[in-house]
Amino acid sequence: MEGGFTRDMGREKRLLGVVGLILLFLCLLPLVASDYHVSVTLDLMMWIALTASWIVLSGYTGYISLGHSAFFGLGAYLMAMTWTRIPFGFSVVLAGLLSAGFAFAIGFPFLRVRGPYFVILTLGLTEFTKYLFINLEIKLGGTVGRILMMTPSLHILYYSILVVSVIAVATAYYIKNSRFGTALFSIKEDEDAANAIGINTSLYKWLAFGLSASFPGMVGSILALRRSYIDPYTVFNPIVSFQVIVMAFVGGLEDVEGAIVGAVILTLVSEALWARYPYTYMIILGVIMVFIVRFMPLGLVFPIKQRLAKKSKESHR
Amino acid sequence: MIFLEGRHVSKNFGGLRALHQVDFTVEQGETVGLIGANGAGKTTLFNLIGGVYGPSSGCIRFKGEDITGMKPYQICRRGIGRTFQVVKPFLNMTVLRNVSVGKLFGRDRLQYTKDAEDEARGILEFVGLSGKAHIPTRELTLADRKRIEIARSLATDPELLLLDEVLAGLTPTETTEAMALIQSIQQDLGVTILMVEHVMKAVVGVCSRIFVLHYGQKIAEGSPREIAENPAVIKAYLGEKFEI
Repeated sequence: MEGGFTRDMGREKRLLGVVGLILLFLCLLPLVASDYHVSVTLDLMMWIALTASWIVLSGYTGYISLGHSAFFGLGAYLMAMTWTRIPFGFSVVLAGLLSAGFAFAIGFPFLRVRGPYFVILTLGLTEFTKYLFINLEIKLGGTVGRILMMTPSLHILYYSILVVSVIAVATAYYIKNSRFGTALFSIKEDEDAANAIGINTSLYKWLAFGLSASFPGMVGSILALRRSYIDPYTVFNPIVSFQVIVMAFVGGLEDVEGAIVGAVILTLVSEALWARYPYTYMIILGVIMVFIVRFMPLGLVFPIKQRLAKKSKESHR
Repeated sequence: MIFLEGRHVSKNFGGLRALHQVDFTVEQGETVGLIGANGAGKTTLFNLIGGVYGPSSGCIRFKGEDITGMKPYQICRRGIGRTFQVVKPFLNMTVLRNVSVGKLFGRDRLQYTKDAEDEARGILEFVGLSGKAHIPTRELTLADRKRIEIARSLATDPELLLLDEVLAGLTPTETTEAMALIQSIQQDLGVTILMVEHVMKAVVGVCSRIFVLHYGQKIAEGSPREIAENPAVIKAYLGEKFEI
C-alpha cells in the first residue's frame, strides 16, 4: 500500500514534469519558430481546446453533441460585434459566457432527449443558429459577411488560444477525476440507475453541457480575429463538430489525453498530407480513420493506458 | 405514522390501465412480498414508488411525507433504494466503484472518492463481494451483478429497499444464498423490504406479508398462508393450490 502510494506520487510528479515541459515549449515556440509553424500550432491548440471541451459532455456522459459548431459561431459573432468596441480579452470571456448561457438556456429541454435523437437535435441547433444569423444580418445590416479590421498579431492570438486550450484541458482532466465526473460517467453507464442512487442527472448533464459549450465560444471568438472575415456559413459550419468528434474517437472519448492525441494526430497528418497529396489526402485520411475505428474502437490512448496500468500492477507485486 | 403508504394509486399508459386504485401499506421493519402474473403492474408500482414516473391519480407517502411525483434521486435521498428487474450495474466500472457511487450521491453524500471507497468496502463485505472489489463489473456473473446492484443501493443508506425480482434467473444454490442475503438485510441492517418475486418458495420463506396484484388491481393481502389459501389468488395466479 505504502509503496503504491509513493509510486503514484512519483507518477504524478513525472506527469507534472512532462506537462510543464510541453507548456514551456509552447510558450517559447513563437520566439523561434516561423509564422507557418506558429499558425499550425495555433490550429492544433484550437482543436485540442474544442475536443477537450467536447468530451466533458459527450465523452463523459455519452450524449454525443453536434452543437459545438453553434457555440463556435456564437463566439465568433460576439467578437465580430464587439471588436474595437471593448478590449479583446474581455470579448473572449464574454463569448465563453454567452455560449455557456445559451447552452444553459436550451439545456433542459435538449437534454431530455437521448441517444440518436439528441445528436440530430444538436445538429439542428447549428443549422438553426446559422439561418438565424443569416437572416438577422440581412435584416439589420443588409449584408451577410463581416470583415474585422486591425486584428491582433498572430502571436497575441497564439497566446490567447494557448490560454484557452490549457484551461480546457485542465478542466476536462480535473472533472474526470472529480465527484462531478463520477456522476457524469454514471449517467453514461446507466442514466436511470444513476438517478435511482441519488444523482440529480438533469442537473449534472446541464452543468456539463454549459461548461462544454463555453470553450467553443471562446475559441470561435479568437478564430474570428484570426480569419478576419466571417459569415454565418463559415462559422456555423457543422464540419467543426464532425472534426471534433472524429478527433475524440481517434484518440479516445473518455479522457483528455485521448482528446489531445486525437487532435494532434489529425491536425498534423492532414497538414502533412494536404500539401503533398492535395487530391488524395482525404482518401488517405479516411482509410486511416476506418482502420482506427475497426481495430481500436476505444481510441489510440486506451490500449496504451491499459498496458501501462498492467505494467504498474505487475511491478507492484 | 405509516412507513410507506399508497392511497388509490392509479397509473394509465395511454389506454392501458396498468394500476387501478391500489391501496397499500408497509410497516417499518417488515419484509413484504408483491406477487402477480406478468403484466399485473408490479414493476409499474415500483416505478411509481421510485419516482420513475408519477401516478395518474392517487398519492404515495413515505414516513408521513408526500413523495408523489418526486424525481428518483429525491426519493433515494429520502431513504428508498431500489434494484431493477433487468439489472443495471455500471458495467465499465469496477465493483468497488459501483458501490462507492452510491456512497457519494446517496443519503451520505460523501465528498471524496476515497472516503466513499472505504465505506463501500464494508458493504461489499456484507454482500459477499469483497474478493471481487477491483474486478470490472462486466466480467461478473448475473448473480454477482445482482449482488452489486443490491450493494449499490445499500450504499445510499436506504430505510426501505425495493427489490425487483432479484432471484429471477439464478440457480437454486444462488437463490438460497440470495435469500439469506435478503433476510440479513432486513434483520442485521434493519432495512424494510418490499420485494417483487416470482419464486414462491422465496416469497413464502422471507416475507411476513404478501400483496397480490392482478390486472392492475390488488386482489388480496395477508400472510403467506392466507394468500396461498385465498381462492381469488389461486384462481388468478397460482393456478392450483400451493403447498407451503
